[in-house]
Amino acid sequence: MLFRLNYKAGKAVYLQLVDQVKAAAASGSVQSGEPLPGIRPLAEELRVNRNTVAKAYAELEAQGIIETIAGKGCFVRENHSPYKKEVRRKLAAATMDDAVVQAHHLQIERTEFLRLAEERFDAFQDRRTRAERA
Amino acid sequence: MSHQSDAVIEASGLVRRYGRTDAVNGLDLKVGAGRCYGFFGRNGAGKTTTIKCLLNLLRPTGGEVRLFGLDPARHEVAVKSRLAYVPDYVAFYPWMSVRETLEYFASFRPHWNRETQRALLGQFRLDPGQKTSHLSKGQRTQLALIAAVCPEPELLILDEPTSGLDPIVRREFIQTVIGAYQEGEPGRRTVFVSTHLISEFEGLIDEFTIIDEGRNVLTLEADAARGRYQKIHARFPAEAPASGFAAAQLLRRSGRELELIAEGNAAEVLDRLRVHSPDALTVEALTLEEIFVCTVQPRGLVA
Repeated sequence: MLFRLNYKAGKAVYLQLVDQVKAAAASGSVQSGEPLPGIRPLAEELRVNRNTVAKAYAELEAQGIIETIAGKGCFVRENHSPYKKEVRRKLAAATMDDAVVQAHHLQIERTEFLRLAEERFDAFQDRRTRAERA
Repeated sequence: MSHQSDAVIEASGLVRRYGRTDAVNGLDLKVGAGRCYGFFGRNGAGKTTTIKCLLNLLRPTGGEVRLFGLDPARHEVAVKSRLAYVPDYVAFYPWMSVRETLEYFASFRPHWNRETQRALLGQFRLDPGQKTSHLSKGQRTQLALIAAVCPEPELLILDEPTSGLDPIVRREFIQTVIGAYQEGEPGRRTVFVSTHLISEFEGLIDEFTIIDEGRNVLTLEADAARGRYQKIHARFPAEAPASGFAAAQLLRRSGRELELIAEGNAAEVLDRLRVHSPDALTVEALTLEEIFVCTVQPRGLVA
């Protein structure tokens, strides 16, 4: 997969890498079992500190999104969060709050918001299904 | 030893005078093992003088310097065997070939990675038989980098390494530092790079010090810095307000538009701006280069 960094995003570089892998896995552009680039080639390509890449991969592993196989590298895992359902709901709720705040200021009403949420959810699912078939 | 610590480089109250000029004037610096540390400053800010004091090429007028916890003046060989240095201007014996030059450098080192040497010579397309006097500036820098990486030192000191090089050579240089140098034991490979070409090294740097007029003016983690400095652009329906925002640096102001830099107080500044019902309000983080400029050359504060 191709990564893109934005130094003006105000987001730590390793988190940008983490989020891009998560988005790619959610939309099916990388699939479970697929390898991620090695730490050295990716660090060289992006011209970032290899500690940054190592930190991103460690975070992805802690979140259960990738797994490291000794001597082989890092691979995307079957979607499997290590957290309990309760914690997963809390984490999702925190992010949804941001969207609700944004919607409020953009004057998007409840029904419209919920319809939009469904639409986005389906969009990701569609892309995943299409990617799996291809 | 009274000065044992985990820091690879440590300077406290470093002073170096040339005649009546204070080139370095009370500098403090602490670089931990395994870091990629940026040392940013304008021309004449005291970067090279500091580095020469670290390397014992200059005697400090005052203050203390420690490398690996040792005084570089008293333990010169012990210190120098653990580091490599690429200066901004590299000179070699003109009668030697590339191969002879590397053999000459290797003769001073207890350890030399021949595999890395071969790989980098190939990657840079350097002809081992070429006389060093026939090398271009870019090729001389590449040769100096090979000579610095092959002994696999714990500390790599780079002084304006990429100034005057073309963009391709600059990229390859940084990729080599990331790839070949950091390959083994990343936790024990420390990079200390002085530069004013900050954007080139943006991704490499994880901590930095900005030096101006011989003093450190700012030391921060790169990620923390990007979170702390924000550029705010606002456009108003009428004339932009001249005051009434929390302390922020005024970058530009023209008619209905305003550009400010907030340092850690972006939320407060935004709240104050919203009072004037702006048509548009955007926030973006500053790059390290922009942080450098607004630190070394601050505009007027507006309240």
